[in-house]
Amino acid sequence: MKDEKNKLSLRRRLVNLLVHLLLAVLAIIWILPIFWIVLTSFRAEPGAYTNTFLPQGYTLNNYIKLFTDRNVLNFPKMFVNTLIIAIVCCIASTFFILSVAYSLSRMRFKFRKAYMNMAMILGLFPGFMAMVAQYFILKAMGLTEGSMVRLGLIIVYSACTGLGFQIAKGFFDTIPRSIDEAAVMDGASQWVVFTRITMPLAKPIVIYTVMTSFIAPWVDFVFAKVLCRANADQFTVAIGLWNMLQKEYIYQWYTCFAAGAVVISIPIAALFLYMQRFYVEGMSGAVKG
Amino acid sequence: MATISLQHIQKIYPIGETSKKQKAFLKKAKEDNPETNKVNLKITEEGVVAVDDFNLEVEDNEFIVFVGPSGCGKSTTLRMIAGLEDITRGDLYIDGVRMNDIEPKDRDIAMVFQNYALYPHMTVRQNLQFPLELRKVPKEQMDRQVDEAAEILGITEYLNRKPKALSGGQRQRVAIGRAIVREPRVLLMDEPLSNLDAKLRNQMRAEIIKLRQRIKSTFIYVTHDQTEAMTLGDRIVIMKDGLIQQIGTPQEVFDNPINTFVAGFIGMPQMNFYDGSLDKEGDRYVINVLGAKIYPSEEKQANLKKNDVKPMDIIVGARPEHITLKEVEGAMMEGSVDVSEMMGSSVHIHLNTGGHDSIIIVPTLDLGGQSLAIGSKVRFTFAPNVVHMFNKETGKNLEY
Repeated sequence: MKDEKNKLSLRRRLVNLLVHLLLAVLAIIWILPIFWIVLTSFRAEPGAYTNTFLPQGYTLNNYIKLFTDRNVLNFPKMFVNTLIIAIVCCIASTFFILSVAYSLSRMRFKFRKAYMNMAMILGLFPGFMAMVAQYFILKAMGLTEGSMVRLGLIIVYSACTGLGFQIAKGFFDTIPRSIDEAAVMDGASQWVVFTRITMPLAKPIVIYTVMTSFIAPWVDFVFAKVLCRANADQFTVAIGLWNMLQKEYIYQWYTCFAAGAVVISIPIAALFLYMQRFYVEGMSGAVKG
Repeated sequence: MATISLQHIQKIYPIGETSKKQKAFLKKAKEDNPETNKVNLKITEEGVVAVDDFNLEVEDNEFIVFVGPSGCGKSTTLRMIAGLEDITRGDLYIDGVRMNDIEPKDRDIAMVFQNYALYPHMTVRQNLQFPLELRKVPKEQMDRQVDEAAEILGITEYLNRKPKALSGGQRQRVAIGRAIVREPRVLLMDEPLSNLDAKLRNQMRAEIIKLRQRIKSTFIYVTHDQTEAMTLGDRIVIMKDGLIQQIGTPQEVFDNPINTFVAGFIGMPQMNFYDGSLDKEGDRYVINVLGAKIYPSEEKQANLKKNDVKPMDIIVGARPEHITLKEVEGAMMEGSVDVSEMMGSSVHIHLNTGGHDSIIIVPTLDLGGQSLAIGSKVRFTFAPNVVHMFNKETGKNLEY
C-alpha cells in the first residue's frame, strides 16, 4: 500500500517535472524574440546582420534618431497619425461592437437571426478582399487625398466592426436576463440598465473590446498602405517600420526599426495596464444557477 | 396597498413563420396525449395561448397565490401584472387605473425573482438602495429605509458584503429586502423559495407569513408547490393550461375541488380516484365503488338533487386522510398492502385495490396492533361527508 502510494507520487512528480520543462522551453521561445529586439534597439553598431547575439556596445542613439531624424522617415509624425486614428477607432468600434452585441443579446426583433447568420458568413471572408472596392469608394468620397486619408482610415477600421459582435454577445448572453428585469422593476430605464447594471458586469468584455479595437488599427499595414500610397505625410507606424527595412534604408535604420518596434508596444502595454484595474469578479452571487 | 383587477386577460405568443415546425409539434403533442398533465395549450391562428380569459379581483392587502404545474401560465400572468410581458388582450387595473400601457417602473410594483437576481457588483446596501436612488429619495431617508428593511429581514450585519459572500437563504432575504424597501403598492413573488433546500424553505415560508403582517402591501405569489399555496394564501388561484381552474380560500379548494385536476393537485398525499357509478335508490343517491355502497351525506344529497344529476358513471375521489378502517355495514372495500410507510404519528399505507394504487393515512393509534405485512388484506371505507364525485367525461365535480 505504502509502496503504491510512493510510486504514485513519484510518477506525479515526474509528470510535473516534464510539464514544467516543456513550459519553460516554450516560455523561452516566446520571450527570446522580444528580448532580442529590445537588445537590438540599444545596439550601438549599425546594420542588419551582426555576428554576436549580444550587442558589442550599448547606446540610446537609436531612440534619439528615431524621434529626431525627420528628413528621411518622419517617425514622430507617423506615431501621432496612428495614435489619433487608433484612439478614434477604439472609441467608435467599442461603441459599435457593444451596442450591436447588447441589442442582439437582449432584444428580439425581425431578421435578428437572419442578420446574425449574414454577419457570420461575411465574417468568413478576409477583410482585404474588399480592399480595391473600398479604395474606389473612398476615392469617390474624396477621402484618399491629403489629410482626408486619416478620416478614410478611421472609416475603414471602424465602420464594419459592428459585425464582430459575436464574442461580446456571447458574454452578454451569460448575464442573466432576470437581473435586467429586476432593475426594470426597481425603476430603471433601458439606458440605466445598460450603464449601471450591464456595463459594470461586462467589464472584462469591455476591456477586451477596447484592447482589440485599439490594437487592430494601431498595427494594421494592408489598408494603411492602400490608402496612403506614396502620401508620406499620412504614413502610419506600420508603413514607417516597413520602410525602414527597405534596401536603401536598412543599414542606417535597422536598429531604429528595433527601437520603433519597442516604442509602438508601449501604448498597448500602457492601455492594458490601465484597463487591468477594471477587471472585477464576474457574475458570482447574482443568481442561483 | 392596492386593489388589482384582471379582466379577461389573455396572452398569446405568436408563432412566426420560422417556427411552423414548433406549431406542428405542439399540435401533435396535443393529439397524442389529451389526457395527461402535459402542457396542453390552445393554439389559434394568432399563436400559442399561454393565458386565456383570466379574471380576478384582488382586494387591498390580500395575499393571492397562483399555483399550478409548470407551463400553466402562472408566471406569465405575474409578469403581465409586473409589466415585463405585454398583455395581448384584456385589462389590468391597479387601484382603478388601467395599467396595460404603463411602464413597469411607473406601476409601483416590486418583484422577487426565483433566482434572486441580485446585482453582483454592488454590496447588499447598494442593492437595497438601488430602487430608492432611482426614485431620487433623499440620502437620510434612504439610509433609514434601508436600515429598516435590513432589520425586518435580519440582514443588517451583511449590509457591506457582496452577494457572492452570502448563502442562498441570505441572498433571498436581500432580494426580498430590495422589493420591500420602497414600500410598493403590490409585491410580486415568482417562486421565491424554490431554489432553497427543504429546511430553509420551511423557515423562509414562516418568515414570509411574518413579513406579511409587518408590511402593508398586496401580495401575489407564484408557486408550483401546493403546500406553500395552502399555508400562505388568503386565496388560491389554481391554473392549468393557461386557464383558471378554481379560485378560493385554501379550505374551499381543499374541501370542494371543482374538478379532478384541482382535487388531485391540492392535498398531500394526492387524493385517491376510483371508477364507480352513481345510482338512485328511490329518492336517494348511492355511490357504487369497488363493490361497496356509499350513501353521500345529506348535504351532498341536496347538492346533487339541486343539480338534477342523473345516474351515471363517475370518478369517486377520497382523500387519504378521509379513509377509515372502521367497519360500516355494506360499505367496506378491500385492498392488499403494497407498501406501508411509517411517518411517526401516522402510517401511509399504499394499497392495491383492483389493480389500482391508493394511499390511506391511518393514525398509528388506530391500527391497534393490526398486522400490515406486505400482501395482507385491509378493509376500508370513505366517510360519506367527504367523498367527492366527478363526472367521468368532463372531470367536473357533480356538486357544482
